[in-house]
Amino acid sequence: MDGKWQALCRTINEGNSEAGVAEALRLLETGETPLAVFLECVEPCLADIGDRFARLETFLPELMLAADAVKAIQEELLPRLQADGSEGYGKGRVVIGTIFGDIHDIGKSIVSVLLQVNGYEVKDLGVNVPAKDLVQAAKDFDADLIGISGLMMPSLPYIRDAIALVKENPELVDRFRIMVGGGPVTREWALQAGADGYADNAVGAVTEAALLLEGRP
Amino acid sequence: MRTDWIAEIVDRSETGPYMKESDFDLMIVRTIPGLVKRYGLEFDSEVLVPSDDDMADRLYQAGLDLLATTGVYNQSTERRIMLARDEIEEIVAAAPSRVVLGTGKDAVVMQHRGIESIRRCVVHSAPTGTPCTEENHPLILQSCAREPLVDCLGSGSVATYMGRRIIPRTPTEILGARQAASVARDAVSKAGRPGMHINDVATPITAQGKMAAIDAERGLRPSDAFLVAQMVELKTDYDQLSRVPQMQSVGMHIVDLLTPLIGGMGGGAEGTAVVTVAEHLLGTVCYSPSYHIYGHMGLMSVNNTDRMGLWIYALGGQALTRNTPILMIDAIYCRSGPGTTDLLWEVAAGSVATTVSGLHQGGVGCTGGTDTDVYTGLEARFNAQVCHASLGMSREDANGYVLEFLNRYEDRLPDPDRGKPFPELYDVDLLEPTEEWLDMYERVAGEITKLGLDIDGGWKQALQAQ
Repeated sequence: MDGKWQALCRTINEGNSEAGVAEALRLLETGETPLAVFLECVEPCLADIGDRFARLETFLPELMLAADAVKAIQEELLPRLQADGSEGYGKGRVVIGTIFGDIHDIGKSIVSVLLQVNGYEVKDLGVNVPAKDLVQAAKDFDADLIGISGLMMPSLPYIRDAIALVKENPELVDRFRIMVGGGPVTREWALQAGADGYADNAVGAVTEAALLLEGRP
Repeated sequence: MRTDWIAEIVDRSETGPYMKESDFDLMIVRTIPGLVKRYGLEFDSEVLVPSDDDMADRLYQAGLDLLATTGVYNQSTERRIMLARDEIEEIVAAAPSRVVLGTGKDAVVMQHRGIESIRRCVVHSAPTGTPCTEENHPLILQSCAREPLVDCLGSGSVATYMGRRIIPRTPTEILGARQAASVARDAVSKAGRPGMHINDVATPITAQGKMAAIDAERGLRPSDAFLVAQMVELKTDYDQLSRVPQMQSVGMHIVDLLTPLIGGMGGGAEGTAVVTVAEHLLGTVCYSPSYHIYGHMGLMSVNNTDRMGLWIYALGGQALTRNTPILMIDAIYCRSGPGTTDLLWEVAAGSVATTVSGLHQGGVGCTGGTDTDVYTGLEARFNAQVCHASLGMSREDANGYVLEFLNRYEDRLPDPDRGKPFPELYDVDLLEPTEEWLDMYERVAGEITKLGLDIDGGWKQALQAQ
């Protein structure tokens, strides 16, 4: 990474929102574009944090604090990005939740954070989300991708229900991609249930999301 | 402080400070590093069973500070239940240090154990947090209940009732709960131990499902227990809290289940240990439990038999043992599965670390509780034998043993052998381990004996001294 980005990357690593926003604005004053700040600094910096998290060299707090810092930077810079007419940073919109009957939160939350730090706009619906609420939220949020987590065997049929609500509706089938994951979920089960994608960990979920949304407008 | 405290918890749930859950998570994340620094907590990967009483006491204070700072998050109201430091200390000081589990000839007394204590461990066993099929669940429970060194029976989770999926909050959850309770009751009866304490029925996930399993003849009794869970980290909700007054009213034992995540909101070993202490205090204040299940696990790996997991067991156990009267059982979550020697080495490391640090034994979670039917009575026997062989051991010696055991499996933790399900490791008619599984057990037991632990004699001495 070019030396001019180091200070901003450091603030993200430290989870320092205030300093991050200040440094991002300073970079704009030096003539950098908002898009360059995201693509050349924020993204690679976050990818590095994500890689370290995957290797267990860093933990969830660092990831959460970095996401919080990036969120603050995004809030400041996104309006300028849109004013610039720049497009291409936002990678997609994702609605995510743990399915009905299941209150396991943490795995889904990590996926949510990792997607956000990788440039996706995420609406996290929390846990115990009924299938119809998940699909309705995807419509309301104009999502590209629905992420469903399930860690309990008795709840897996509700994931199947959510998938059916999309795949059996001609108006929705091409509108949303669906990605699933969680302890008892396997790729075979996911595909057999009609999901488009599957991941068995948070880092894999980011890769899978990119694959599923590749080439979509 | 008063005995109808749960109503006060509800009041505070309704009137405490409102906060978005994600902000509460960030509050925890931002608070813990300061506590770790202020109290000088330091993980040493070569000293997994520390002998530092002062650090144990500092860890306790850090956990107390954390709970007093953040309070408890009630997901149902999105409000924080605030607790004063002296209030927490007063309630914890009055917690039970001795409980009778089970009835009649099968009753056992579980007492607060000291550090390096010679007081025998009460041994619970069952497919901890592990999914089971309807077909094998009764056999697995019976294989545990018939082990003479097992004192209390746990539960496994079954997803179907007569082949139909169990749907939470429907009649099938009630039917499944009652069936699972009946299976547990049958298991202890068939083992000739009808009064044995049963510590949960894990098939139902809602309060109504749990309560449906109470049945003096065919289900759980006041001498038994249900788990009341905390959500990670430092969270509860009304479904969990609602179990408390019912169980208190019928005189059942309440078990506080906590599962702090290593690498989660606490960060590394030190921060997760702080969360672990705080959650024991939370459980004591909010749930009035007879005992706690100390079940931390890796965020990704779902085990506590690596270096951080074992250190958290040892130092956290000592912190709580030195500063409170509470009763704790471990839950040794392993990466390996039954039918492997690695599983037995993982169990041995966990068992020694917890026994010398004041805990009782709660059983083994094979494959991190992810694979189906992966539990047998033999690992329960082994767990009991190792813990009894460790009674009275110094923490220094325990550290040597733990490092030696860890050396036998640590390299394979990233890609563990997940073993075999119950029917491939037991004769399902005789309910005896197969020769292959028994050979592995005898081989590891023999090696441990050569290292100086009296696997065969320890439990005999413990029973005689009882």
